[in-house]
Amino acid sequence: MSEMITTQALRTLVGEWLDKGRRVAGPSQVKPDLVSYTALATPDQLVLDGFIHPSNSIKEFFFPRHERLYGYRIEGRKVELSDPPAPDAEQVIIAARPCDAAALPILDKLFNWDSRDEFYNRRRAATTIVTLACSAHDSACFCTSVGLAPDATNGSDAMLVPAGEGRYEVRALTDKGRALFEGKTEPSTDNGHACDGPPARFDANNLRDFLRGNFESPVWAELTLRCLGCGTCAYVCPTCHCFDIDDQGACAASATASAGARMKNWDSCQFRMFTQHASGHNPRANQAQRQRQRIMHKFFVYPERFGAILCTGCGNCTRACPVSLGVAGVLEGLK
Amino acid sequence: MASNAVADPLVSRPWRVKRRIREAHDTFTLEIESRAGESFPFTAGQFNMLHVHGVGEVPISISSNPAETALIRHTTREVGPVTKAMRKLDAGDTIGVRGPMGVGWPIEAIEGRDVVLVAGGIGLAPLRPALYRLIAEREKYGKIVLLYGTRSPQDILFKHELEHWRAQFDLEIHVTVDRAIGTWRGHVGVVTTLIARAPFDPLETVALVCGPEIMMRYTLMELGRRGVRESDMYLSMERNMKCGIGTCGHCQMGPFFVCRDGPVFNYAQIKWLLGKAEV
Repeated sequence: MSEMITTQALRTLVGEWLDKGRRVAGPSQVKPDLVSYTALATPDQLVLDGFIHPSNSIKEFFFPRHERLYGYRIEGRKVELSDPPAPDAEQVIIAARPCDAAALPILDKLFNWDSRDEFYNRRRAATTIVTLACSAHDSACFCTSVGLAPDATNGSDAMLVPAGEGRYEVRALTDKGRALFEGKTEPSTDNGHACDGPPARFDANNLRDFLRGNFESPVWAELTLRCLGCGTCAYVCPTCHCFDIDDQGACAASATASAGARMKNWDSCQFRMFTQHASGHNPRANQAQRQRQRIMHKFFVYPERFGAILCTGCGNCTRACPVSLGVAGVLEGLK
Repeated sequence: MASNAVADPLVSRPWRVKRRIREAHDTFTLEIESRAGESFPFTAGQFNMLHVHGVGEVPISISSNPAETALIRHTTREVGPVTKAMRKLDAGDTIGVRGPMGVGWPIEAIEGRDVVLVAGGIGLAPLRPALYRLIAEREKYGKIVLLYGTRSPQDILFKHELEHWRAQFDLEIHVTVDRAIGTWRGHVGVVTTLIARAPFDPLETVALVCGPEIMMRYTLMELGRRGVRESDMYLSMERNMKCGIGTCGHCQMGPFFVCRDGPVFNYAQIKWLLGKAEV
């Protein structure tokens, strides 16, 4: 026995969530040729098929591109801090790819390994994640190479599995996920089916051994010579989490009374300025070494330190890369 | 403001500048105190993220005495936009403080040993709190030797204090400059040249090193040549830092977050990284 929901019933349910004031985010046709995860204004904006992977990841609903940490007001020589942002409203992520949801338990480790990032934790606690198992993969997908699959449940509260004829099997995985679909499904003797995973492209364990011994290998320069250092791979990645903190608004020297804010913004280790010191010295001054940093961190350092590969095989870095590199391209070259 | 923001490690607290002290033509010390009157315990070698509102935030080592927890000092060179703005701050101005952060010098763990401190330029600032600690319990340590290299005689930091300490305590201080000008009659040359002749017993010695990365690499090599064990050498690393709590990624050096796992590292722990280019 399984529990089923029709596309129509699912849209009705999304409408109910929106009516309750929840923020609902899911894949949406944001441009004629572009599907991205975005906050939905109406249930019919939700796109459930016809795409492999949205252009972005769901990390921005937990770790926003720009986030206000706190405000401040400069009054003469004194500075007063203003209240921190209010806790976020409850949100539902609907039809996330399993490779996007799988990134969250991985990021939980980083944002809580020592200090706890309560901005992130607050959003995690206020969010229910409903994934949509894949019915197709493309040449960029490599979830099976990092231990995942088109119906991997890591990070999901519930999963929708396509069952054909506009129906989805609903697999409740946590209490939060169960509560979302309580009384909204119909029992069925039928089951949903995910597609087979893409053939594995490399062995992550062998790779870790290679990386351990090849920090200074010439392959880094050979494989990454064409990298432009644009950082797009990090922005579309579900697990990349580097950030910068900047001031926005008032400058102490410019006014007698003015307001500003401390902003946390996405950043990337692919940018030259990322490691640059004020003195001009840059400990990581060329692009091949920045690529090495990215690969090493994802497939060697993070697994050693936090017990998880910092990659879910979504393939977004390959799809978005202007020179068709992405992590899989580098990893295949290494093996 | 709500208390949860104060507790958040990414939110800096507004402190008051008590005074600014000129140390050299491009180097100054800011003495700051909490506006809320809070006591600020820290360990020698730790740093704070200092925020000039509207300009930016930078990691600066604490240069004052750990026994004094009300007035905190930071000594810095004026290099980038934030330290340039810091230099314009004066008594009564506000500065944001997050900290104390990171792992400092192993002061207690090295009791009973000879201690050689090797400083290059502004690298003396993070070592000064260690010196205060060593002097405060002078009897607990063997020989204490400070080897200090700086650009010119005018760039010597904490000059009066160094002279006072040399006169008052059983402390060897050797200073060398890159360029001798005026009436300088001391050593000329890089700080590593002082190591060969410095009076310490290598096998009894723990070395605390801070300065530019290239200076530290040669210093550690030279100390090794004298026979100091690698596991008895400590160094304070510098990296671009933004969060200070091991999440933003900027300061990563191989598997280490310099802000949280350091800035003070044991040489044996990171030797394999120091020799490599562009970690």
